[in-house]
Amino acid sequence: MSEPVIEIRGLRKTFRDFWLRPVAEAVCGIDLTVEKGDVFGLLGPNGSGKSTTIKLVLGLLAPTAGTVRLFGLPPRARAARARLGYLPELSYLHPFLTARETLLYYAGLSGMDGKAAKARAAELLEQVGLSTVANRAVGGFSKGMARRVALAAALVAKPELLILDEPTSGLDPIGTHDVKELIRRLAGMGVTVVMTSHLLGDTEDVCTKIAILSKGKVAAFGRTDELLTRKQDARFTIAGLGEDEARAFAAEASAKFGRDVAFDHPRVPLEKFFAETVGEGR
Amino acid sequence: MRESFRLTLRALVRGHVMTLLVAAVALVHVLFPSIVRADNTASGWREMYVRAVPGFVVAVVLVVTLACACGFFSRERETNRLALTVVRPASAFCVAVGRWLALCGVAAVALVLNAALTFARLPDAPDCRHHVAPILPPPATVARQMMEEYLKDPSTPEAVRKAPRRRVLELLTNREKDRYDAIVPNESLSWTFPADSSRSGLAVRVCFSSASSMSRSARGTLTFGGLTGAVSNNTQTLVEIPLERTAAAAPVTNSLVFANTGAVAMMLRPRRDIELLLPADSFLANLFRATLQSLAVLALLAAFGIFLSAALSRPVAIFTALVMLAVALMAPDTLDQFTEELEVPLGDRIGLAFSRGVACVTSAFMAPTPVSDLATGRCIEWAELARTLLEDLLVWPAVFLSLSALVVRRRPLS
Ligand SMILES: Nc1ncnc2c1ncn2[C@@H]1O[C@H](COP(=O)(O)OP(=O)(O)OP(=O)(O)O)[C@@H](O)[C@H]1O
Ligand SMILES: [Mg+2]
Repeated sequence: MSEPVIEIRGLRKTFRDFWLRPVAEAVCGIDLTVEKGDVFGLLGPNGSGKSTTIKLVLGLLAPTAGTVRLFGLPPRARAARARLGYLPELSYLHPFLTARETLLYYAGLSGMDGKAAKARAAELLEQVGLSTVANRAVGGFSKGMARRVALAAALVAKPELLILDEPTSGLDPIGTHDVKELIRRLAGMGVTVVMTSHLLGDTEDVCTKIAILSKGKVAAFGRTDELLTRKQDARFTIAGLGEDEARAFAAEASAKFGRDVAFDHPRVPLEKFFAETVGEGR
Repeated sequence: MRESFRLTLRALVRGHVMTLLVAAVALVHVLFPSIVRADNTASGWREMYVRAVPGFVVAVVLVVTLACACGFFSRERETNRLALTVVRPASAFCVAVGRWLALCGVAAVALVLNAALTFARLPDAPDCRHHVAPILPPPATVARQMMEEYLKDPSTPEAVRKAPRRRVLELLTNREKDRYDAIVPNESLSWTFPADSSRSGLAVRVCFSSASSMSRSARGTLTFGGLTGAVSNNTQTLVEIPLERTAAAAPVTNSLVFANTGAVAMMLRPRRDIELLLPADSFLANLFRATLQSLAVLALLAAFGIFLSAALSRPVAIFTALVMLAVALMAPDTLDQFTEELEVPLGDRIGLAFSRGVACVTSAFMAPTPVSDLATGRCIEWAELARTLLEDLLVWPAVFLSLSALVVRRRPLS
């Protein structure tokens, strides 16, 4: 068992108005553990409390009840904050800074020195595909470009824990694909990733663990493989098998096992098809 | 600290605050001089000019600085950017200090430009002078003695005996501050100064009044050792009388004598109406000190604005800052109005306590008067400047910026 990076116990958050009357119960008793190396997906419909949970984990909001530990520390501890990167739901950037300056600003706030920060900024701009517009003010960026800058800003200090609130929102399919690739690569390097999304496809592809929130409660939680794989069924893909041959094979198998056998032809995911069609010619 | 300094500087420069400020300074210096009206003396015009042009610029820079400061953290919070700063391991105090330094830097540019343009317009303004008040015991000491005598005196009314001592003392102190000395015709009176008559280039700044509210003519002679000056002016006007050397062999003294040769009794408040003027250094040096002093006051207000921006939303912060500014400007007058009453109704007493509190808190910001000192040619003493710099540039900003860091760290962000 590896060490828990995030430990959430009995977490509750009730938003109150000026007169302290409860307005919304955003989170109602959540217990979750995220371990080192996990790619953790927090799913749920709109308003289910995903962003609120993330803000509680970051210590931006004070919980009504329950505790959060980051690396075994309270979320506001500087030592914990030094080890994490955060991408908010919307990319809130300083409009008059250029992409490069934005990265240097956040690198500086994370305590990186000038030279290392410059090298890191250049590397990240290359990675998120913005090196050609590095010196343009981000105020004029499109939503997706801003998203890429914000993502790079989250990565700038080489965090051990990356918290991404809807990382793919506003990105084109290639951007989405790149982000997923990036997450996989980071996970391979031992970075723990927590991401929220309501795009199930995205989550399914990259997350090793998921929790589904509904009305502020955890409705399902576990390893993606275990939750989604139907071990009692089996599916085959046989390359180069035509329609007639397949039909014959199905009949044979049906006779042999005494069960219904269905077959279909695999489809390429639209994402892949799109990527192949558009190519790198963005 | 460096990051937030750079960020704020870029915001102020690229958001055109800096450009507009510099343009405003230049515009005021180009347009205003032609509308400055004064009496026909060069010194009168100079005084009006300093109050109207550089004085106005300082007021503009002050309001702009305060408005900018009030938007710092509040806008960051509105646009949700603050969360991105807060989740970084940087200290909130350093972030606040960085922002404050950048704002002070921009204000300093405007103030230096203001000073340069002022000097360009007044290259041969006369040297400034030390304004020296007569040596008198502190008003509170005099008041305490007076109170003891009052209480011993059997004819003192019962109301005074019953009134709280503190209030009586305060009343007597205020009365002592405004006490008049009277000099009847053909008599003379003297005041001692912490300077002696061996120096040259001395003058007396004095404002006589008479018992009647009408303007009378004040006539007489001021004598300071071997120096004399003739008084022939109207009452109720502040005049400056140069002291000329007439008797070469007169003994050196530090007592200034006024002999009344007029027909009516002359009066003056020794703590307010008479000062000895001693030559100090150049106008340029005083301009330098006045600029530093203005900058210190601005720095204090900037830190206060940043604190408000951490605690409140932007419109509320700006509103609060302006109200506080207005109350601070009015508090001394409010206090003056109530100095003569022993019995104050409860409602007024609350208002009075509030005004007193404000006056006390804002004294750090209200005490320096760089523009008026520059206008009247009063030398801003180095000790005074050092005190302003210490209080307004270090102590109070440290307090306000620590408080804002505390609020930023504690306050939830949604
Ligand atoms: N600052 C706030 N004040 C009052 N209520 C809030 C606040 N923030 C969130 N809520 C409420 O809390 C609930 C959960 O909101 P949250 O933003 O966590 O949802 P979410 O799962 O992130 O949704 P989405 O998928 O749309 O991003 C909602 O009902 C929302 O109205
Ligand atoms: Mg959300």
